[in-house]
Amino acid sequence: MFRLPSQPRANWQQKAQSFGFHFHTMYGEPYWDESAYYQFTLKQIERDLEDPTEEIHQMCLEVVEQVVRDEALMARFQIPETFWQPIADSWNIRAPSLYSRLDFAYDGSGHAKLYENNADTPTSLYESGFWQWLWLQDKVDSNQLARNADQFNSLQEKLINQFAQIAQFYKSDVFHFACCQDTVEDRGTVQYLQDCAAEAGLDVPFVFIEQIGIDETGRFTDHQDLQIDTLFKLYPWEFMQREEFGEYIIESETNWIEPLWKSVLSNKALMPMLWKTFKGHPNLLPAFFEDEKHHCDSAKVVKKPIFSREGANVSILQDGKIAQSADGPYGEEGFIYQAFHPLPQFDKNYTLIGSWLVNDKPAGISVREDSSLITQDMSRYLPHIILG
Amino acid sequence: MTRKRSAQINLNRMRKHFVPKPLAIGVTSVFLAACADDRQDAVIYKDALECTNANPEHAQTCETAYAQALEEAQRTGPKYNGRNDCESDFGANQCYAVQQNSGSFFMPLMAGYMIGNLLSPSRYYYQPMFTSYSPYSSYRYRWLTADGYDYGDLRKRRYKVRPDAFKAKPTVSRTIKRGGFGSSVRAKSSWGSRSGSKGGWGG
Repeated sequence: MFRLPSQPRANWQQKAQSFGFHFHTMYGEPYWDESAYYQFTLKQIERDLEDPTEEIHQMCLEVVEQVVRDEALMARFQIPETFWQPIADSWNIRAPSLYSRLDFAYDGSGHAKLYENNADTPTSLYESGFWQWLWLQDKVDSNQLARNADQFNSLQEKLINQFAQIAQFYKSDVFHFACCQDTVEDRGTVQYLQDCAAEAGLDVPFVFIEQIGIDETGRFTDHQDLQIDTLFKLYPWEFMQREEFGEYIIESETNWIEPLWKSVLSNKALMPMLWKTFKGHPNLLPAFFEDEKHHCDSAKVVKKPIFSREGANVSILQDGKIAQSADGPYGEEGFIYQAFHPLPQFDKNYTLIGSWLVNDKPAGISVREDSSLITQDMSRYLPHIILG
Repeated sequence: MTRKRSAQINLNRMRKHFVPKPLAIGVTSVFLAACADDRQDAVIYKDALECTNANPEHAQTCETAYAQALEEAQRTGPKYNGRNDCESDFGANQCYAVQQNSGSFFMPLMAGYMIGNLLSPSRYYYQPMFTSYSPYSSYRYRWLTADGYDYGDLRKRRYKVRPDAFKAKPTVSRTIKRGGFGSSVRAKSSWGSRSGSKGGWGG
């Protein structure tokens, strides 16, 4: 695994414009960065990332199985009681999942260590599935990269296929897509998913989360009063379950993407549960609930809120004192503690690997860099290749 | 060599610059394409009696399909808060009030129903048809489906349609409340300036 400097494509901004990639630069800071790329060997990809990703996902599903059968665990996961049964129901019918992203610390050797599972609302999907794919294509076409250079990235292909599967499962071919207003990045991610679903032959109307309505039969509606049968929402379950319309979620009989049972996986309480169930697994870091943290024998630990996005409210503790922290609005539902394992550094950058799953199949990786040990939403995205 | 990346991506489909924005309502696939070979015969009848008179041996199917189309009309047809708005689109006396627990709303009357594959009592297709008598409407004296597809002049009754013409239309409702999702974002955004944040709520 190397970080190699690279000549940015001369016309890439223009290209981004024509493909609708509008968040490559934000607040004057580059987000998409093609002045360098990461190079992996096929063995590193398959043995150290792809296989563990598939295995860890299966381990996560075993945790779901445990949690949905145990009310005490549901409570530990801070899931509101009215959703315990519906979550179990959605798991029991195996309501289909679309995608997830596992975040790993990995430096090219040894075992990739799992930081967390973004199972409900992962972003950086468009950059991964499409934009870095196009980058490689262009680089190869212009002879700046070897013809046999490959990329671990079958995201788009798999997403299209999984949309077709989900449509079949629900016997539904109109999928609504939603995200919040005023966020270019989320809108771009959702547009990409709409494009993939459209490739699968579906109708893909869009509605903002804030515009969703409820009709007299208790079904959700879009801004044009069309009933919503199936909804992809880039909006966290833990928010929806606690908001005003949360009480209609169950009776509305909406087909949800991601399904309700993903609330168990997109929850940091997953990490101590994984450690309890698969203690010593080489891809896991020791992790503990608040009342068990005395079992953690590592002097340096990371404290993470049960619900958190993009590194917000994460702090690094050295002998119980805060060594580094990122502020944010999360934490009221409690914290978990994970043994500290630093991100590897490449040319002064801290590098985080996101490993994608579509349903239960590994589907590619994304590489993000940050100048800080805690990767936040202003980290940069770099493309990668497989060679050798 | 097995490739680890998507084999093919249709770049034209991914381009955004010149693609017109998807139109709101009333856009469906074009059923009447002359070259399609999977088209089938379909006829519009004003009511069950007209259908029965034309197909006495299929009276039962005419009746059942009519009842089903009526039900479908109520589910998928346009809904208005006021009679005037409805009549302005569909014409005087062309609208009726629907009473529900939370109040009433107005819908256009079903003007007819399209039926296909009538000869097969178990596998026939149907869909409700609407029309407008309003001088203010561009759909005046034309056959319309619930989702706004214009089949043309009222006098025309026989069509060749693709099977997906009969695909169930989305349900049109009357929304009683909006804005019940999204409050967490407002709350979480107000804690501070999240300087430099892209402001997304994905992760």
